[in-house]
Amino acid sequence: MRCPYDRSVRSRTRRAWALAAGLFVVALSQPGFAEPITPTRDDEIVEVLPAASGTRDEDRRLRKLVRGRPGDAAVAVMVARRYLARAREAGDPRFAGLALAALHPWPDATTAPDDVLLLRATLQQYLHDFDASVASLRLLLARPEGEHMAQAWLTLATVLRVQGRYAESDEACRRVGLAGVQVYSSACFAENAALRGEVESARKTFETLLANPRLPTATQGWLLTSLAELETRDGHAASADAAFRSVLRLGPDAYAAVDYADFLIDQGRPSEALKVLKDETRTDAVLLRLAIAGTRASAATATRDVAEMRDRIALADQRPDACKFHGREQAMFALAIDHAPARALELARGNVELQREAIDLLVLAEAARASGEADAIDEARRLKATLGVYDRRIDAVL
Amino acid sequence: MIACVGVLVTGLASAHKSSDAYLQLDAAPNHLTLRWDIALRDLDVALDLDTDADGKLSWGEVKTAWPAIESYAMARLAIDGCELRTTGRGLERRNDGAYAVLYLASDCTLSRQPVIAYTLFADVDPTHRGIAKIQRPGQPIVLSMLDPSKASTSTEPASAANASAPAGIAIRPPSRWQFLGEGIRHILTGYDHVLFLLCLLLPAVMRRTREGWRPVDKLSEAILPVLGIITAFTVAHSITLGLAALKLVSLPSSFIEPAIAVTIMLAALDNVWRVFPVRRIVVTFCFGLIHGFGFASVLSELNLPTADFAWALLQFNVGLEMGQLLIVGVATAALFSVRDWKRYRQIVIRGGSMVAMLIAALWFIERTTNVPLMPF
Repeated sequence: MRCPYDRSVRSRTRRAWALAAGLFVVALSQPGFAEPITPTRDDEIVEVLPAASGTRDEDRRLRKLVRGRPGDAAVAVMVARRYLARAREAGDPRFAGLALAALHPWPDATTAPDDVLLLRATLQQYLHDFDASVASLRLLLARPEGEHMAQAWLTLATVLRVQGRYAESDEACRRVGLAGVQVYSSACFAENAALRGEVESARKTFETLLANPRLPTATQGWLLTSLAELETRDGHAASADAAFRSVLRLGPDAYAAVDYADFLIDQGRPSEALKVLKDETRTDAVLLRLAIAGTRASAATATRDVAEMRDRIALADQRPDACKFHGREQAMFALAIDHAPARALELARGNVELQREAIDLLVLAEAARASGEADAIDEARRLKATLGVYDRRIDAVL
Repeated sequence: MIACVGVLVTGLASAHKSSDAYLQLDAAPNHLTLRWDIALRDLDVALDLDTDADGKLSWGEVKTAWPAIESYAMARLAIDGCELRTTGRGLERRNDGAYAVLYLASDCTLSRQPVIAYTLFADVDPTHRGIAKIQRPGQPIVLSMLDPSKASTSTEPASAANASAPAGIAIRPPSRWQFLGEGIRHILTGYDHVLFLLCLLLPAVMRRTREGWRPVDKLSEAILPVLGIITAFTVAHSITLGLAALKLVSLPSSFIEPAIAVTIMLAALDNVWRVFPVRRIVVTFCFGLIHGFGFASVLSELNLPTADFAWALLQFNVGLEMGQLLIVGVATAALFSVRDWKRYRQIVIRGGSMVAMLIAALWFIERTTNVPLMPF
């Protein structure tokens, strides 16, 4: 699919920036920025290598380890997990590529060790290759010990939910319970129930689970976020707000922060959204919300963030298949910043072929409504009905 | 030294995209040139370039590793029917970091559907892709994404109907006068260039006499100096625009942009206090050289086709001049009509120059500290 990229919008927008109250950073954020480097001395630094939470030494140690023990699955899995964590932390998908490479010695999914296959499925999920992830997980879970792999079932339930396959996701939730982890199984069911509109029972489940004082913080955070999303879709702004705030009180949570920012932007509170995202790593998801909230709030940082997001989109679009994997963010950007509903609609349509969370349908609905095309609106309605998603925000748009 | 400063300012790159390498192929009968940009960061993972393990790559480390880089890369690229040899090397800074540039060539004729075997970083990062642009004379660019996990990619020639083919996609060919429009657009939105010209024009409808500025009597008396200034500016910026576009001279924008602000300040200052011992035309020429580099910075975005490069550059420059003439015409007419105003010297020349100096000073601060201050 050829990515819709409108250059005339950029020229018009460029003039608009210059004229409007905005700020313009020169040179470094030029899209397709490329200039020759002409070093004159040997000790001149030409590149600073990325060093995230691990130190450079650890990096090299890991690489040496993997190279020195090519058949050692435990080492490979450990290294790959470290890389995946770095990828999430920095919002840098290159690390996910390095993680996949560490698992290279086991290309055949049928013979790869269990944790290699599970980690590969997780990486595929991170890189938005959902079909591949589901395939890897099904292979893994078909193995004799499959029924005890709670994590694998849970990941499968999540990926199926993202694809809008709620019934299959429920089946995976059930198997999580059978593998022995009741809390996650119940929460898993409740998430699917909430999406289908069984809001009361889902809410009760979450509240019951949260009442347990000995819940690990991470689980608490996940439950509260799910509850907040439920309340958002059910139209209870105050409860959603309270739930989001509770999550962020527990500690930094990038996923919840972006979720909360979306909620605040929808509620017409963009400056609060900016505050929430202030200290987060500028992943694509975070930067997009900063750009949208900043524009709505006429913040000083708005133009810079918009420019940077535009650059990232342009850079990513150099790959012909890029808009498939970044369709959601690009559609939101096209709609909220460029006010280009036709382009947003095309991107949103491509996106829902890949993922179908409530937000993806919402973006499709908003793009359809903004474009005014009757069949686009019908299409959005039909998709919502087919999936059986319950979301008052989408109802309001359609 | 200047390049060093530029590099330090832009040294730290942050990436939020997967690994890409960029290949630019220019195919002519019996000759193929290839430019291959590979991220140093990716090469470090594969070849461990950071020998002193300080987390930074120095020019020395890259130089030492260059033979290894070349043999590593060349072993992982094969174009059917073309034997590649290296012809040069370079370094390029992009949004997500520094890239090693390999210049390659071959005396083959690239087939209509070249089969490219690309396996760079296949075992280092399976998400890496090679983004190839194939340019043949007089034809639209063919874009192809090379996947190292696939043994080889056959790049199909593009046609308008084939626009969404998976392997090769045609970029819409530019209209014949596209770069003319870009030139006009660029000068009209180039507020710093416009302000510089206005500073030069403010006293143009006056003459410098022993008693100070006096209004000219006839329009022709104003037009001559104005023409002189415009010509000097045009010739100067055309020279440096051409030099920069051909990559014969390259100055980092971290130097050029503040320098442009300085030219405005000095031009404005000269209106109030005579600071230049030479004629204004000479000053305009010298400053015009700097502005030319400023225009050149937009060229990299425009993707000037290598085949019609000269024609596109000419169009761009002509566009600049057309826009310029428009601005100058309007400004001169306006200034000429108010030149007899008693307060012209005070308000227009002095006041206008002061405002210009202030704006230019703010731009200077903005462009050296990278802190946005102005809305334009």
